[in-house]
Amino acid sequence: MKIKGIFKDGQIFWHILMFILILISVCPILFAFTGSVKTLEDLYNGGFFPREIIFDNFKRIAAAVPIVRITLNTFIIAACVTAFKVITSTLAAYAFVYFDFRGKQIIYFILISTIFIPFTVTMIPNYLTISKLGLVDKIFGVMLPQLADASGIFLIRQAMRAVPKPLTEIAHLDGISELRILKDIIIPVTRPAIISTGIIFFINSWNEYVWPTLILRSNENFTLSLAMQVFTDSEGGVEYTMTMAMAVITMILPIALYLIFQRYIMSTFASSGIKG
Amino acid sequence: MKRNSSSAGRFIPRNSGIKPWLFILPAALVFAVFMFYPLIYTVYLSFFDWNMIKPVKEFVGLQNYFDIFKDPNIGKIFGNTLIYIILLLIFDFIAPYIFSFILSFVIKMGKNFYRSVIFLPSVISLVVGTMLFVWILNPISGPAAKLMGLFGLTAPVWSTTQGLVIVIISIMTSWKIFGYNFIVALSGMGGVPLEVIEAARMDDIPLHRIFLNIVVPMSSSTGIYVLILSIVQGMQQVFTPINMITQGGPDYGSTNLIYNVYNEAFGFYKTGTASAYAILMLLLFGVLLFLEFKYVEKGVYYEN
Amino acid sequence: MAGKDIIFENVKKSYEDKTTVIENLNLTIKEGERLVLLGPSGCGKSTTLRMIAGLEDVTEGKLIMDGKVVNDIPSGKRGVSMVFQNYALYPHMTVEKNITYALSVHKVDKNDIKERLEQVLEILGLKEYAGRKPKELSGGQRQRVALARALVKRSDYLLLDEPLSNLDAKLRLKARKELVKIHELYGQTFIYVTHDQVEAMTVANRIALMKDGVLQMLDTPYRVYHRPANVFTATFIGSPSMNIIEAEWGGGERLMVGDQCLKLPQMWKEIVEKHGRTKLYLGIRPENLKLCPGHNSEGLNAEVEYVEDYGNRYGIYIKLGELELISMADSVFAGRGEKVHFVPDYDHIHLFDRENTNSLGYPAELEEGKEESNSFMQAILNESPKQED
Repeated sequence: MKIKGIFKDGQIFWHILMFILILISVCPILFAFTGSVKTLEDLYNGGFFPREIIFDNFKRIAAAVPIVRITLNTFIIAACVTAFKVITSTLAAYAFVYFDFRGKQIIYFILISTIFIPFTVTMIPNYLTISKLGLVDKIFGVMLPQLADASGIFLIRQAMRAVPKPLTEIAHLDGISELRILKDIIIPVTRPAIISTGIIFFINSWNEYVWPTLILRSNENFTLSLAMQVFTDSEGGVEYTMTMAMAVITMILPIALYLIFQRYIMSTFASSGIKG
Repeated sequence: MKRNSSSAGRFIPRNSGIKPWLFILPAALVFAVFMFYPLIYTVYLSFFDWNMIKPVKEFVGLQNYFDIFKDPNIGKIFGNTLIYIILLLIFDFIAPYIFSFILSFVIKMGKNFYRSVIFLPSVISLVVGTMLFVWILNPISGPAAKLMGLFGLTAPVWSTTQGLVIVIISIMTSWKIFGYNFIVALSGMGGVPLEVIEAARMDDIPLHRIFLNIVVPMSSSTGIYVLILSIVQGMQQVFTPINMITQGGPDYGSTNLIYNVYNEAFGFYKTGTASAYAILMLLLFGVLLFLEFKYVEKGVYYEN
Repeated sequence: MAGKDIIFENVKKSYEDKTTVIENLNLTIKEGERLVLLGPSGCGKSTTLRMIAGLEDVTEGKLIMDGKVVNDIPSGKRGVSMVFQNYALYPHMTVEKNITYALSVHKVDKNDIKERLEQVLEILGLKEYAGRKPKELSGGQRQRVALARALVKRSDYLLLDEPLSNLDAKLRLKARKELVKIHELYGQTFIYVTHDQVEAMTVANRIALMKDGVLQMLDTPYRVYHRPANVFTATFIGSPSMNIIEAEWGGGERLMVGDQCLKLPQMWKEIVEKHGRTKLYLGIRPENLKLCPGHNSEGLNAEVEYVEDYGNRYGIYIKLGELELISMADSVFAGRGEKVHFVPDYDHIHLFDRENTNSLGYPAELEEGKEESNSFMQAILNESPKQED
């Protein structure tokens, strides 16, 4: 019955179309996974599946760069940036939803507008600031400019606006302080949105390329995205199997997070979306 | 009554005074130091000749802006930027829009599966994506070359081929941002009532007419949002493959406004020219921002 | 003036966009009473309640509670508790946590909290649900949890904003009896907002009827029903609405209705003459409009237009000139188009000034010896089939 549905009304055509789209989405990822456990010769001449699964590529990466340290750097940056962004965004969003104050609309407008400022506009002064602080080639220098995020304020504000007003009114009536209301009521109720916003922050920071490229210089301070380049920059071509292995190391955590929190992430994007 | 009062006059905590500002302060501080100050400083730098090291900045007025138009590569830079924008709009605005329509209203089964898989590349680093495409499109032994070989074709060396290089870089970038735009477009489709589509199908209206005459007008604010997203996000994301593979080459063949700012600043250490380019870029985005607020925000932020 | 009265002194409420919701409110809510704020949508009743709660600020005038002007006192310090229309239960907390949350934040003694919790759970029959989350409860149970949360504070003022409107008709009936019982138990000042007149009548000690931000009448349910202060009150209370007939005082004892004429008895004549104006409205409640067959020069002549069968009674629509009136009767003797007439029962008529729509008042004779009977209540309860079916 169900299978039949696919063939009805030309549905099969649309499914083939979607299938092609999925193939384009997934193929590069699958190539990375299979390629990472192939020998170079196998990669060049073999089929899709590895003839023999080897972990040489990962071992050679470990020998070439301090991969554990690099992974740790990436994780520390992403975790700190995420924590700060979630905190600053949640606090600001709360103010925009639950307080009235002079200039609220215009301040919100200005903050949200920063989403449209390309990084090239702030890049030079920020580089100068970080270098003046002596934070070039320090992971802290990568974190610092990223401790707040306008899109986070937007997403969390959307979620808070969906919380019925009487919930905070009754708390005010009971003489509960603003911070307690935020901590005991608003955060628990908007938790799914806050978690998924956090996941998105984490993944984006994990994948960040431009800013770390400017700030980080030495291998042991690199993040995963930068380490990838170590294997591509080398003159005389790219060593593809090692690149694939590096790709796997870099993308495994974001993929895992996405698969685990998929529901949250999708619903947050759906509610942030625009109706009509 | 209930409804009236809650919409007209929201609760105003009395004597709240400084409290809201304390809540905003942490975010505002970061924005002030790393967003607004740099913005102003970049404008300032665009009037000076400097190289980040010299102790003295030399005031040159609008000279940096004039220099831009004397730059022999200016035509290429702006031309390429335009080509990038057009390609990004096709891959990341028109395509996701159509596919989200198909998934919302045409296909009946497997919606969640398709949606999840299509979003997947969005969570992967574009550095990874770029490298994977470099392998796939490797002219000698990459899968694409092998596939073309079956038909007796030779794969071009795309990274040194004028024109093609922009197309390939756009595809790499789109591979990453397609999924996100697709999800946003999909949520916009959610605002179109299914009954409207069903009514149209009962009247035997062809699909492309349903899309153009019903779905597009009814989801137009999402549409504009995705359009702007494609340009703003796309333009910044193409930086990654350009910087990784071509560094703007061959012969400025893949450079664009964004990459050129970077190149002027950190390649040639010409902060003045770089800043002037950056400000031009900002003005371009400013127009988009204006469109965004004119057509989208009204429907998004103020709907309740 | 008792200490815990709530007093509105020339209170005005308007919003930033200059819309005024409350014009100039003067209202005293007595300590310990059940006051119902009643009125149609947008009349300002919820705003009034929310001003007491401190959820809306007072634009002008004074709001006095507990002997102090509270205009600038935040809601948490006013000693009020509230039940919201949608209950506003914290969705992530259990019933028990919902009830005790505020107490524990304010560091009330643990044993005291426990004792109070046990008590409200007992009274409201929520014992077995203490561990559940709001989404696992029925509408009626949620309403009781909201009430329990308000009661456990033991505040001086209990505010209820349409607390029963999300319940189905049967539950509403039960819950409103429960509310009155609970008030009698706790004796707090009850301020209760509703748009439902039957609820208002049955719950209130006194009703404050509002319209467009103006207090129309403040009195007991009996008087609001039987001695409406103006046309709005007369027509808002009671279902079907009171018939309002344009009438002209013709001098002597003649009250002209169109080209027909009624003879007013002495007691009404005095009232009208004292008032001095001639353009009036004559008000007759449908149940007091008794039809007789045929035309007769003693009363007002009309034709039957349409008959509605309510099962227990009939609603007979008649045409008096251009005007449509309704009469409630136990039986019907005339069909459509047939001639009927009626002579008003002068003990149960109402006269209003046509210009300012205010009541002319009532003859002293009618006020004497009239017991504050409950018969009117019976009438209201019976005659609103759409609300109580």
